[in-house]
Amino acid sequence: MWQKLKDGIEIRIGLTDLIENRLRQYRVPSDTNIFYTLGIVTMAAYVVQAITGYFLLMYYVPHSEHAFRSVQDIMTIIPFGWFVRMVHMVAANLMVALLFIHFISIFFMGSYKKPREITWLAGGLLLLVTLAFCLSGYLLPWSQRSYWATTIVSNLPTAFPVIGDALANLLRGGDSVTGVTLTRFFSLHVGFLPPVFLSIVGLHIFLVWRIGLSVPPLSQSAEEESEWTEFRHATYSRSYPFYPNFLLKEVSMIMLFLAVTFFIMSFMPTLFLPEAATTPADPLNTPADIKPEWYFLAPYQMLKMIPNKFLGISLQIIAIIVFLFWPFFDTRAERNIMKRPLIFGLFLVLLALWFLLTYWGRYSA
Amino acid sequence: MRYIYILSLVILVSAATTASAGYREIFEKEFLSKPWSTDIVAESSCIECHTSEVMDEKFRSIPQDWRVSWHAQNNVSCHDCHGGDSEDASMAMSHKRGFIGSPNYTDIPDMCGKCHIGILKNYVESGHGKALIEEGTGPNCITCHGSHNVQKVHIDIINAQLCSKCHPYERAKIMKQALFLTDKKIESIEDDLADLRKQGVYPDREEKSLFNTQAQFRTLFHTIDVAVVKDKTNFFTSELNGIEDEIKATFEELSFRKKFSTFLMLIFAGSWAIITLIIRSKD
Amino acid sequence: MKRRSFLGVLGTIFGVTAFGSVAYPLLRYLGPPQAKIDAGKQSFKKADVGDAREIVFQNTPAIIINRPGKGYIALSRVCTHLGCLIDYDRKSKKLICPCHAGFFNLEGRVESGPPPKALTTFPLRVEGEDIIIG
Ligand code: HEM
Ligand code: FES
Repeated sequence: MWQKLKDGIEIRIGLTDLIENRLRQYRVPSDTNIFYTLGIVTMAAYVVQAITGYFLLMYYVPHSEHAFRSVQDIMTIIPFGWFVRMVHMVAANLMVALLFIHFISIFFMGSYKKPREITWLAGGLLLLVTLAFCLSGYLLPWSQRSYWATTIVSNLPTAFPVIGDALANLLRGGDSVTGVTLTRFFSLHVGFLPPVFLSIVGLHIFLVWRIGLSVPPLSQSAEEESEWTEFRHATYSRSYPFYPNFLLKEVSMIMLFLAVTFFIMSFMPTLFLPEAATTPADPLNTPADIKPEWYFLAPYQMLKMIPNKFLGISLQIIAIIVFLFWPFFDTRAERNIMKRPLIFGLFLVLLALWFLLTYWGRYSA
Repeated sequence: MRYIYILSLVILVSAATTASAGYREIFEKEFLSKPWSTDIVAESSCIECHTSEVMDEKFRSIPQDWRVSWHAQNNVSCHDCHGGDSEDASMAMSHKRGFIGSPNYTDIPDMCGKCHIGILKNYVESGHGKALIEEGTGPNCITCHGSHNVQKVHIDIINAQLCSKCHPYERAKIMKQALFLTDKKIESIEDDLADLRKQGVYPDREEKSLFNTQAQFRTLFHTIDVAVVKDKTNFFTSELNGIEDEIKATFEELSFRKKFSTFLMLIFAGSWAIITLIIRSKD
Repeated sequence: MKRRSFLGVLGTIFGVTAFGSVAYPLLRYLGPPQAKIDAGKQSFKKADVGDAREIVFQNTPAIIINRPGKGYIALSRVCTHLGCLIDYDRKSKKLICPCHAGFFNLEGRVESGPPPKALTTFPLRVEGEDIIIG
């Protein structure tokens, strides 16, 4: 019976061929390290978000008068609603953290160099889309924190001369954060961003698969280093099959990610849930210390410090453009960052600056 | 190729700077005077005038007293008690706009009682209230609570210094003793609720029912009739016990959540370890 | 080889447990939440026109008002400001909160004072001499 079923499927889908000829024969370089699994772990985080997100949708009410109550009911009345919401919240933050580490490791290993520029560009867009997910999701519980953090962020576009106010009003659907903003962000969060995210992820992963994983710069052989003049799949001097070895590594890292998620849920349940998040939004009452989430602190602090708002925001837009198109600026073939002390130093300074600004933004008034 | 990008960047920067040139002054001013979050709420004309140099020294500290008061923290402002129009400086103190100014000693309970209806009712029928209405001498609201710097009530407002201004403290002490246990219970429930809030729970139903019980209890005090307070203590205790039970259930739920998440953490950490071992054994 | 298959079995056990412990909360989540509303259909006696009757409906203090010309309405007595219990004032035909003078009309809407929103309304039906709420 079982055998019959297996045969039936085999005839129609050809699983053996798929595994033998596609997955087993698909090779990955021997010197891959755990940083090579971060992309898949981030993707797993997205799947977790999508699943818990759909579950939240069953009880969440996107209306300024019911949103807060409905989220609190999910936390207290709905059986295991707390579980679904806490996973959504913790995994969202971890997803951003994973993306940051993914991006930093790619940079250090020079994996964005020719022919992988488009892969980088797609990845950069994914980071922006994820931040948009967070920004829009943040408003949905309609708490004091949601309301005021969104008020701060949606005021940023006013720094543009002439069109600034119009831009901010377009984002908010009015000149302050209201129920209109809530429904607007809701539709972004669950309607618009997911298909955009999935399309870009599709491109990103397709390119990775099509070109093949990069070899870490230190173990690159001469052949692997040769000039890229026409398309070919990457070739490796030493490699091993994707299935099952590499796949198992990826799965193990996903398990680790889930373990960390539940670690935070059990031992630091309020890490992402301060008191202002359990107080309903009150447009007439600004809470004492309202800060953007940790991943927005550095840019926020930078804007606060530059005395000209427009200059600040222009600098940031330029920084985003440089970040997105970096592989097209940095066209030298040398992948070993140790041999590029200037770039290396500059990046370390930027990282240090980011941490400093984050710390500053967190503890300054 | 990269020179084209760098060139376009330079153009972008200079375009941005040129575009902002005419606006620079406005922006600098805006930035220095405006916080990022919201525009500063316009000060009411009452406060503007009362803090200015032209105001009599005696009245100048009123806004400062009010700012730290329980009323201010709950968005109760000048005109809510004193009437008048806080948005229009020229008409601010016009009696046409309902301005009351500072009331006579005997009119104060009516002023506070505009909002605190329940308390007024009990006060008027009490010894305190009768003394005020009939002889014009009894204590009114601000004798005990103060006026502009009104603070959240604490049981120690009943103290020897204050009460013995008019009569021996002994009578007040008996009252304080009658209130003591219930008051302590209310305080400990308040602490628990604050704790729950810190742990990410929104205990609004419990908070509301606590406020109701507490308000009834405090209203009752204004009868200054120990027999009435003692008589009702059982009722309040059972109400408060009900709230305490709910809080206890919530704390238990929180500890279940912690255990459940820890269990899942261990399962996934275990899976990670096993898969790692499997990979090792394959190499 | 032995070690391999032992790890395989262990891995399967952990995998199945992990799957089960995540699927369980999600299945429970899909089940009907503690049905609060239909748990209690309670019946109460009628009130005269212009009169009100204080009741307790599913642990919530509530009030049934027989509004002249508009029929019955059942409202929660819990003030939406801080939770004091509102009273019906027969003379002014209003609901008044004794704590901070919140005034509500007989539809439960805020007329003045600090309460931020209307009182909760309970669905009600008149059957003969009884009023059924729930
Ligand atoms: C298909 C995908 C998704 C759906 C259907 C979805 C749905 C929702 C819903 C209904 C909420 C409101 C409930 C709540 O606040 O807990 C929410 C909140 C949120 N979402 Fe998502 N989401 C999705 C993906 C994502 C992704 C990819 C991220 C970012 C990495 C994200 C980040 C957030 C954040 C930060 C919140 C606020 C959490 C809180 O404060 O409670 N979401 N999401
Ligand atoms: S509790 Fe009802 S008005 Fe404040």
